[in-house]
Amino acid sequence: MNCEHCQDLISVFLDNELDQPSADRLREHLAVCDECSRVCEDLAMIMDVCRLDEDEAAMPPNPQALWCRINNVIESEVQAEILKEHKEQEKAAAAAESGWLPRRWNFSFMQLASAVVGIALISSLVTLIAIRNYGAPAGSDLSSNTPPTLFEKILGKVGLMETPEQKRSRVLKEREAAIDYWNKRVEARRAQWNTTLRDAFDRNLHEIDQAVDEYTEILQENPQDELSSEMLDSALDEKMELLRQFSEL
Amino acid sequence: MNVKLKKFLNLPGIIKTTVLLSVVFFFAAAGAQDLAAQKKFSKTYPASKNVRLQLMNRTGTVTVEGWDKDQIQISAYLEAPAANIVPQSLSGMILINVVKDNQGRNEVGNVNFLVKVPYSSSVDIETVMGNLNISNVAGTLVRAHITSEGDITLTNIAAANVSAENVIGDIFYDGDIQSRGNYRFISTKGNINLRIPFNAGFKLVATAPSTRSISLGAFSGGNMNFVSEGRRVYGQNGDGSATITVTNQRGSISFIRR
Repeated sequence: MNCEHCQDLISVFLDNELDQPSADRLREHLAVCDECSRVCEDLAMIMDVCRLDEDEAAMPPNPQALWCRINNVIESEVQAEILKEHKEQEKAAAAAESGWLPRRWNFSFMQLASAVVGIALISSLVTLIAIRNYGAPAGSDLSSNTPPTLFEKILGKVGLMETPEQKRSRVLKEREAAIDYWNKRVEARRAQWNTTLRDAFDRNLHEIDQAVDEYTEILQENPQDELSSEMLDSALDEKMELLRQFSEL
Repeated sequence: MNVKLKKFLNLPGIIKTTVLLSVVFFFAAAGAQDLAAQKKFSKTYPASKNVRLQLMNRTGTVTVEGWDKDQIQISAYLEAPAANIVPQSLSGMILINVVKDNQGRNEVGNVNFLVKVPYSSSVDIETVMGNLNISNVAGTLVRAHITSEGDITLTNIAAANVSAENVIGDIFYDGDIQSRGNYRFISTKGNINLRIPFNAGFKLVATAPSTRSISLGAFSGGNMNFVSEGRRVYGQNGDGSATITVTNQRGSISFIRR
């Protein structure tokens, strides 16, 4: 008989409802198995208690002993918590000694001052970048010669801020890619146009290209000329629109 | 008097009559040939007062006029080879797209439109090439966009949103500047002339980087400033509630008091 089968039969056995051969085999197992015999004892105790009168069952057999047991349980749990806390404190202290983890919020005045200055510096940087990159509407930038400040130059050098040249170069690359795409489509369609349409397309493209060349030249001489940069963007947009519309004809 | 003309007048009557008749016949034949080559498309749609006309043409002149009827009347004169025109009447909108209706066709002749719309219509006209004329319209929007070349003439306009754009060609605007309105005129090469009321309230940014020819006329005054070596003017007139943006890459800009 194995333990599982034995424990299944214990309850029936204690009720004296188990047949003799099975009861014998159970007894043999209980004689050699500590775990099953303990289960059997516990179950026997429970059944004894249940058999007591109702009044007796309501009263604990020995209130003082019961209180002692409860007390012991509570104390053992509290002790375990205290021990755990002690261990954590010891760990923190050890880490603080080695200098890698914070020792609660114990900062010196200098540390606090440095933190405040650091936060102020970072937020100023973020604000400045945001204003430069997103804040200024196209129409409001009315002065065309605003050279970058030393601070902006430094930010540009360290890669925190896009310089006007970098920005222009990026935008130009994007536009050129789009223009190349539409140019190819126009080339594919061009043969089917009549002479009037072809001439008109060439004339208009030439006019826009002249404007593009003019602004590119100005920007080579004066990269800070934002008005020319703006106009170059606008001319490239027009070129793209011209190519796009004619590619659909 | 011209010697050749004197000689002609001295010729006998029969010869003179023959020459004149030949000339008349020649022009009449040429005109008849033109008329035979041109087809006409005409359709009228009932429309609400604030209907929107959206027209995308390929090449040809488009003329839109406001009238005192709750109808849209479309007349199109089609040059050979005649284009297909399939106007669509959607809810609150008449849509004509000649580009889409003729996509894939190699040869399509000019289409010259004359469209009459209720006064308070919104008008959105685009063409690849050709002149655009819009007059007597007082809807929410007037948009005239030429992808390449052609003149834009907007007269007697009372719309809060006006946009006119071309590459080569003149732009003329004669109309109101409404409070909180948005007015945008853009050209690459041509002259932009704006005739607007003197008491209009607007903020202005006018840019003519190549010619630096910006004439403010009656509007030049205390609140207008030339910047960037005269390539741009910005400032405010009156309460500054509307916005006017004018850009002419290689042409002039002029303001005229209405």
